[in-house]
Amino acid sequence: MALALLAGCAAGPETLRLRQETVSVELSNTPFFAQERYQCGPAALATVLVSSGVSVTPEALVSEVYIPEREGSLQSEMIAAARRHGRVPFRLDGHVESVLAELYAGRPVLVFQNLGLNRLPVWHYAVTVGHDADRGEFVMRSGTEPRHIESDKDWLARWDRAGRWTVVVVRPDELPVSASAESWLAAVAPFESLGQLDIARTAYDTASQRWPGNALVWAALGNVHYALGEQSEAAKAYARSIDIDPSASLVRNNYAQTLAELGCTERAQQELATAAVGANPSQLTLLHSTRADIAALSTSARCPFRP
Amino acid sequence: MNKIKAIVASVAVSAMLTAVLPTPALAAVVSTEQMMSQGASTQDRAAVDTFLARADVRDQLQAWGVAPSVVEQRVASLSDQELQELSLKIQEQPAGGDVIAVIGIVFLVLLILELVGVTNVFTSI
Repeated sequence: MALALLAGCAAGPETLRLRQETVSVELSNTPFFAQERYQCGPAALATVLVSSGVSVTPEALVSEVYIPEREGSLQSEMIAAARRHGRVPFRLDGHVESVLAELYAGRPVLVFQNLGLNRLPVWHYAVTVGHDADRGEFVMRSGTEPRHIESDKDWLARWDRAGRWTVVVVRPDELPVSASAESWLAAVAPFESLGQLDIARTAYDTASQRWPGNALVWAALGNVHYALGEQSEAAKAYARSIDIDPSASLVRNNYAQTLAELGCTERAQQELATAAVGANPSQLTLLHSTRADIAALSTSARCPFRP
Repeated sequence: MNKIKAIVASVAVSAMLTAVLPTPALAAVVSTEQMMSQGASTQDRAAVDTFLARADVRDQLQAWGVAPSVVEQRVASLSDQELQELSLKIQEQPAGGDVIAVIGIVFLVLLILELVGVTNVFTSI
């Protein structure tokens, strides 16, 4: 018991790491919207969206993320609303260094906090806009306070008790500092599925410039071109993906379908045959159904690629 | 009897799917989201799951007072994965709001903790 209390008072490894930071940052230009009762979700979301150049008000976001009977907003609806406003909602990993990196890059960070205890949670959204390395404090836009200060230790504890949920919203042509190809694609893929194709295309394009050696990035770019009806562009992107990773059966499946629509039926069948090698049973089912689709396809297109 | 029920159910589901789902969901090209979840195997099943999850989430949001005029649009912007997660445990999902709603004993406990400096509920709303 005594040990536990002692541990509770001592600074954890992350607080110690924060104490070694020497660079301070404060994004003073970040707007502030005082929250209405219960409505920290719309206020915090508006703060990061407006910072990213979106024209929106907390009032307008109430009907998008607020749930009257819950007197609050769900995390997934905050994410979905950012997408509706054309910004990629990117979840940071749980490292405090990733939060600092975004602040240094000029991006305010939306954080979820538990101001109460694990057993008596009081959930709250706020926006972290700065870190004072000398004083060991975070600066936030929170609730009705335009410049709320929290010590490193408190900030970490409240963030930790809320599962370290942290989001930055970015334009599709910029990348968060800590993004990897996989985490960026995961944040962008819902745009493709939900039909916001222009945003998906820009975001995949951004990824292909940053990670040109990643097979999945090119496959994703192929998918969005295909969805936009740009088969030639799609075929090129799929080919590049397959060059990097010849074993991806699903990419070959998409490539085959695209080739067939371009009039390259023979090459399409070859791709399907190659894809079947090493495919698992469920992928084989898909490949069979694509083969049937291709056989039934009647196209007058003339294959633009050499046999 | 069960067999008949199963047939009726499957017919009903197919009818719903044909009526509501956009056809591309069942097209030959696998989406990036499916590639990343490795779920391309059972596209049809995934489409049914998503369809049912969407209905669950829509009903719950409406029951919680979200206006019918906006609920459809809200649910339509959730990804498949978000829908599945929400439909499984929307009740337990935390909703960030503020603390005016904190009542009774909870209020007292938090107030004491606040006074001894453990929490920061009443200064940061």
